[in-house]
Amino acid sequence: MQITLRVNGEERTLDVTPYTRLLDLIREDLGLTGVKEGCGKGECGACTVIMNGELTASCLVPAPQADGAEILTIEGLAADGKLDPIQESFIEAGAVQCGFCIPGMVLAGKRLLDENPNPNEEDVRYGLSGNICRCTGYAKIIDAVMMAADKLKVEGSVNNGE
Amino acid sequence: MANNKYDVKDYYCKHTTRCTVEGEKKSKRFVGRNVLKADAEDKVTGEAVYPNDITFEDTLYLKVKRAVHPHAFLKDIDISEAKKVKGVVDIITAEDIPEVRKFGLIIRDQPVLVGIGEKMRYMGDALAVVVAENKEAAIKARDLIKVKVEKLEIITNPFRAMEDDAPDIHPDGNILITHNLDRGDVEAAFAESDIIVEKKYQTQFIDQLPMQNEAGTAFYDEKKGIVNIWAATQWLHDTQADIAQSLRLAKGQVRIIQPTIGGAFGKKEDVSVHIHLAIAAIRTGRPVKFTYTREESMITQSKRHPITIYNKTGVSKDGYLKAWETKFIGDTGAYASSGPAVVHKGMYHATGPYDVANIRGISHAVYTNNTYCGAMRGFGTTQGAFAYESQMDILAEKLEMDPAQFRLQNVYHIGSSTPNGQQLNHSVNAEETIKRVMELSGWKGGQKE
Repeated sequence: MQITLRVNGEERTLDVTPYTRLLDLIREDLGLTGVKEGCGKGECGACTVIMNGELTASCLVPAPQADGAEILTIEGLAADGKLDPIQESFIEAGAVQCGFCIPGMVLAGKRLLDENPNPNEEDVRYGLSGNICRCTGYAKIIDAVMMAADKLKVEGSVNNGE
Repeated sequence: MANNKYDVKDYYCKHTTRCTVEGEKKSKRFVGRNVLKADAEDKVTGEAVYPNDITFEDTLYLKVKRAVHPHAFLKDIDISEAKKVKGVVDIITAEDIPEVRKFGLIIRDQPVLVGIGEKMRYMGDALAVVVAENKEAAIKARDLIKVKVEKLEIITNPFRAMEDDAPDIHPDGNILITHNLDRGDVEAAFAESDIIVEKKYQTQFIDQLPMQNEAGTAFYDEKKGIVNIWAATQWLHDTQADIAQSLRLAKGQVRIIQPTIGGAFGKKEDVSVHIHLAIAAIRTGRPVKFTYTREESMITQSKRHPITIYNKTGVSKDGYLKAWETKFIGDTGAYASSGPAVVHKGMYHATGPYDVANIRGISHAVYTNNTYCGAMRGFGTTQGAFAYESQMDILAEKLEMDPAQFRLQNVYHIGSSTPNGQQLNHSVNAEETIKRVMELSGWKGGQKE
């Protein structure tokens, strides 16, 4: 069967089988390998994408369900080669070690800040609770999201002044 | 790598050359400075290439038929139905690779494929490798392989494994290795002790659980006679040597290209996908790819050893450690891996940071039919820490002493020597650490509220 969806702003039409996972469609058919598979069971958050504005474990979504969907993957976050403030913050806070969980973490952080630009630490912990990291112990990942919130506040005030 | 037929790329880590600051001498570039991680940008944009992210044109996919019983002789393997699955290119069993030798980190006791008449020793043992045009065909064919086995007693407990009537998992018996430790006069020191505490401690299996499962791609460059393997390893040159001896190749014929590694914590010290990939690449002449599922990773690759620890400790009534006797029984599972080193390292650290003049110990790493155990952060010492710290708390309570004070008066200092005789002549910060913890935690002397 054929489905049409928008991935990182680009409309794509693909042939899929009913049992193709959205994760495989993104990684294998579209070649966007920044989306990772950690468990294949919706537990670890490595395969996180933002689908129709919601954090989604792409390993649990049958591809046909994504027909007509709007999907953002980690590859679509940096606009014109310029990193998103949350990506910058992950680098600057030292939140990245092996990096395998990071695409999912960054998207979870972005989704949180889109909804709540003023999170406290507990909000951040809750916002990232669907994503497992085995290297860092989370402290610097939480710092990174808080740092990004500060950056966005500054950027926001500049934009408002214009 | 130039190749006429296939466009294969290298994908090795490109970051080692990027960390240059002009005009500075080596160490001054980094020491005492905050340095941003060189590959962090690739990782926050999704550009970093991990083993499972590499797929070449015309790639074949591998799946492995694994053991159907934790301890059994393989009597027959029937691949006839599996071979009929559309898209299957090759199914490899032990009879196809008679020249291939066993592998292993310290002791080479692990078969690449279990042959007819040979034993499967845990659920992760490989019986056949299926190579197919796509994953679906590989899985379908794998599940059509029929196996007949002669079941043996399943040994899941190292104490059962050490009994005289237990079947031998390996030909040389179930105790893989024994180590001894003996310093001072333990008997006399126990006789002089005012309080003696004797306890048994048990730790459990732990999976290192790196976020990325074992995965890799391989391609055989026929012209050069070199098999290229893109897969993670923590011991690149040992893995290369082990693959080479197993396949009877020269080391120069095995080239491992490390992509970005998605975590390891000891789990990726052992060979995983590598040898199966190499064999399939050489036989088919095409790029081949093999990715473990999480279940496969948990069943097949190493764990932290569960260790049973017996500690007998004697102290004087003023709270000084006099004598320590210890026993470490480590369940090393079906294969040796790092087990011979892990269990006895744990025993050498049986007293942790505490100074005991008289100590005696014995450790056994014991084969069972559980998933094999190997390296994980701490390499045996974390299991010991649970036991000696518990022991110290129990002793402090019996002595009616502040457990922090009891620890402080027994820790190593510069000049102390460890149970295996290592002189500590450099940085010894145990006392400073405990004092700082007392300060930061607002320690009130361990009084019960």
